[in-house]
Amino acid sequence: MSALVRIVRAGPLATIQDAGRHGLLAHGISASGPMDQGAFRQAGALAGAGSGAGIEMTRAGLDLVIETGAVRIGWAGGAFAVRINGAALGWPGAARLSAGDLLSVTPGSAGNYGYLRFGARLDLPDVLGSLSTNMRARLGGLEGRALAAGDRLRFEDGAGEPGPIATAPVEDGPIRFIRGLHWERFSVQVQSQFVGARFRISPAMDRMGVRLADEDGVFGGQSILSLVSDPVLPGDIQILGDGTPIVLMRDHQPTGGYPRIGTIIGADLDRFAQMRPGSVLAFEPVSVDHAHRLLRSGQT
Amino acid sequence: MIETSRSGREGLLIVPLGDCALLVRFGDSLEDGANRAAQALAAALDADPIAGVVEVVPSLVSVLLRYDPAATEPFRLAGEIALRLSRPAEKPAGSHRIGVRFDGPDLAEVAAALGLTIADFIARHCAAPLRVLATGFAPGFVYCGFHGADLTLPRRQQVRPLVSAGSVLFAAGQTAIAASDIPTGWHVIGQTDFRNFDAARLPPTRLQAGDLVSFEALA
Repeated sequence: MSALVRIVRAGPLATIQDAGRHGLLAHGISASGPMDQGAFRQAGALAGAGSGAGIEMTRAGLDLVIETGAVRIGWAGGAFAVRINGAALGWPGAARLSAGDLLSVTPGSAGNYGYLRFGARLDLPDVLGSLSTNMRARLGGLEGRALAAGDRLRFEDGAGEPGPIATAPVEDGPIRFIRGLHWERFSVQVQSQFVGARFRISPAMDRMGVRLADEDGVFGGQSILSLVSDPVLPGDIQILGDGTPIVLMRDHQPTGGYPRIGTIIGADLDRFAQMRPGSVLAFEPVSVDHAHRLLRSGQT
Repeated sequence: MIETSRSGREGLLIVPLGDCALLVRFGDSLEDGANRAAQALAAALDADPIAGVVEVVPSLVSVLLRYDPAATEPFRLAGEIALRLSRPAEKPAGSHRIGVRFDGPDLAEVAAALGLTIADFIARHCAAPLRVLATGFAPGFVYCGFHGADLTLPRRQQVRPLVSAGSVLFAAGQTAIAASDIPTGWHVIGQTDFRNFDAARLPPTRLQAGDLVSFEALA
């Protein structure tokens, strides 16, 4: 299968992503990659994805038309509405589209990120080992930028077989984290209040980080010295000088000098990424051992 | 529950950074010994890699080890790290000459604050090679140090929202080179044509932590 696809409408910050550009932190490049890795893999399995790359959409969704050829497309992540030539389909799902078909993804009831994967290889130049868009460093994807109406994507042979999709049970508890780097720099009172306090996802969120509203005032008035910078990883919970918590995400700054109270575990980071502004959450500490058991039980 | 271990070395800390990485920290403040210890560990890990470790990132006073949790776990890693701490490797340092046009907007203020003429400041700045203390703050960005106490100034009060790639920056006893457009609170003392980042090459940067950099004043 090969196809030429034109973006008809792109919501803000829709980007090309693959598994990520790993191994370049020492060069000042964060790995990028999908905000919801599980959903990205699920869409890939539905599509029989022929390459690691697909489209990450934000809440506004995206419309595309097949200009020539045909390609199987799989979709997953959050809960969006999807139509082909006006006819509604289920989410997640997949279909084979041919020249002239219009796929329209519009806002749905849950989630921040949805994925489109393709049963053919996306023909784009590899940049430092990945197609992922890193908008901070302006690398990858289409010239390092978000997708826009009028962009054309070419897909070439290289289809895989659609596979079974893992449907992990949806977790609904606290977001679990590992105490770490600067935990002991916070007072015992802050440590104990942080666990179980209410935080709210603020509208200030993107692929770089998610700002939280500290509704119980856990960090209010806490003055913390700035520190020598250390490398940063996705899921790190850093506390700014004014007490605002920010969870650093896939396009994070490569190093950081603000205190980090902990790091969200791999098994919960996808779920956290999909929490919409206004959602309330609490944090719960777990051991590294426990986090590893969750990774083994939850992922393919 | 916190897998923190302290060994014989003063200030040494091995601490998890999430469930796929450990950070080995050699101190709480930026000083020469901690920085050299971090570089020595990174060199030892390069010379004798640990199974299951997928990325090693040396920083100012720490080394991050990213690992595959399906292949190893922190307790075993801490043992392997301790082995390599006990027999540090020396990596041959690369050396680089970097030409700088000392014409930055903060140059005069910096020289005055140090009680030097501009010519004296430039001469002292370039008198001896500096060591690359760390990379990674931004694409291709390097911190070089350390200058003596006679060339040590704090950062500016105000952050500049954007300085261009090639800006040569000065603060906290260090000189840094920006390889991309960044915000900074450091003093801008000059410009270089040298770009320590090329996305078409793998690896994309030329300067590594531990390399020596000789700055040369261009007319």
